[in-house]
Amino acid sequence: MRLLRHDLHSLSGAYALDALEPGAERDRFTRHLSRCPSCASEVRGFREVATAMAFATAAEPPAGLRDRVLAAAARTRQVPPEVRTHARPRRTRTWTPWVPWLSGVVATASIVAAVLFGFAQAHTQDELNQVRAENQAISLLLSAPKAKLLTYPVTHGGLATVVLAADRHELAVVTTGLPALPAGKVYQLWLIGKPKITSAGLLPPAKDGQTPAVLATGVAKGDALGLTVEPAGGSAQPTTKPILALPLPV
Amino acid sequence: MNPNDSDASRFTSATTDRRGERDLDLLLVHVARGDTEAFETVYDRLAGPVYGVIRRVLRDPSQSEEVTQEVLLEVWRTAARFDPAVGGAATWVMTIAHRRAIDRVRSTTAAADREHKTAEVHTPHDEVAEAVQASLDAERVRRCLDGLTDVQRESITLAYYGGYSYREVSDLLKVTLGAIKTRIRDGLIRMRDCLGVS
Repeated sequence: MRLLRHDLHSLSGAYALDALEPGAERDRFTRHLSRCPSCASEVRGFREVATAMAFATAAEPPAGLRDRVLAAAARTRQVPPEVRTHARPRRTRTWTPWVPWLSGVVATASIVAAVLFGFAQAHTQDELNQVRAENQAISLLLSAPKAKLLTYPVTHGGLATVVLAADRHELAVVTTGLPALPAGKVYQLWLIGKPKITSAGLLPPAKDGQTPAVLATGVAKGDALGLTVEPAGGSAQPTTKPILALPLPV
Repeated sequence: MNPNDSDASRFTSATTDRRGERDLDLLLVHVARGDTEAFETVYDRLAGPVYGVIRRVLRDPSQSEEVTQEVLLEVWRTAARFDPAVGGAATWVMTIAHRRAIDRVRSTTAAADREHKTAEVHTPHDEVAEAVQASLDAERVRRCLDGLTDVQRESITLAYYGGYSYREVSDLLKVTLGAIKTRIRDGLIRMRDCLGVS
């Protein structure tokens, strides 16, 4: 179904209230928004209305939440301020196409942070090129309008954060706070499907408790994302009980 | 409609002053630099509305608490992405909060609860009146909601507080899709004017 521009414009209210379901219509409106300053301004105004509505329904948070949030913050690394000032000009170009979109979808920031760590960890030109190529794939994934963020606790500690672009059958995974493994062991990701289980790669070593983003392709309907501890080099099939089994809404 | 209808920035500055959002903007800049005291203040100012709106959408207290924690942690982690030029700090945080609540509603785990929810919704307006506290914000919002037509008010409250997509709102209210999206937009324009005038 093709929408006339006027019809598209009239979606601004539903969009501002998060009342557009993920799909072609929302994608079209999101694209339209980037080209229509008056729509963007209208959405901003509507979001102010929504904010007033949120304040109108304020409620006392549960006891203990404050301490838990502050404690969690104390162990959570922040996204570096101002990507642009830290990045060299050449890198800036890499970010340009998708950073504006990301600022709207802040939830993916942990992936961005992980991508940046990837850069920080690259020492040689080859390493840098490799990171750049991987990041290009990840940035494409992040810019997919239907990308969805999932966060899930890992058994024995840590969190897995997944950006899933179901329509592209791709996902990116970042973990924080996984327990360090003894020498000779690695974390391995799996796509656990009904007919078969396929490896989705090894988690790179963590830096400051966070692993650089790993891209997995070929995500199929009904797959779950699994994580196991495997001998160095990884296994063809999981040999231990998964410490993460996250159903993927594909 | 008054001549300033389309001037969102005017409205923004009005609400910004009213809620002391400029302080909040500044606090977030400090949070972005790892200032934990600033974060505590941000928590104290925003945890109530964040929890309130999430609970309103999700209803389940333990899920709401979980999502509230995720949102506030997200604020800590991504404070550097906050851009005061685009909108106020409270709006930035509430946008994250509402979106996360909606994501949870639409996720598979919440699907079952949602079946019950559909049956429960009868009179969104009364629910608003019930939940609304005696705060100034609540008074103003209620007054402005009262100024809308029934369909505008119900569409907006079902979408924002109920977490329904406009397609679902159209089903619930038995009004065409095209009419619902127009009612939501028209209603929001009236709300914007009503709240902006204060």
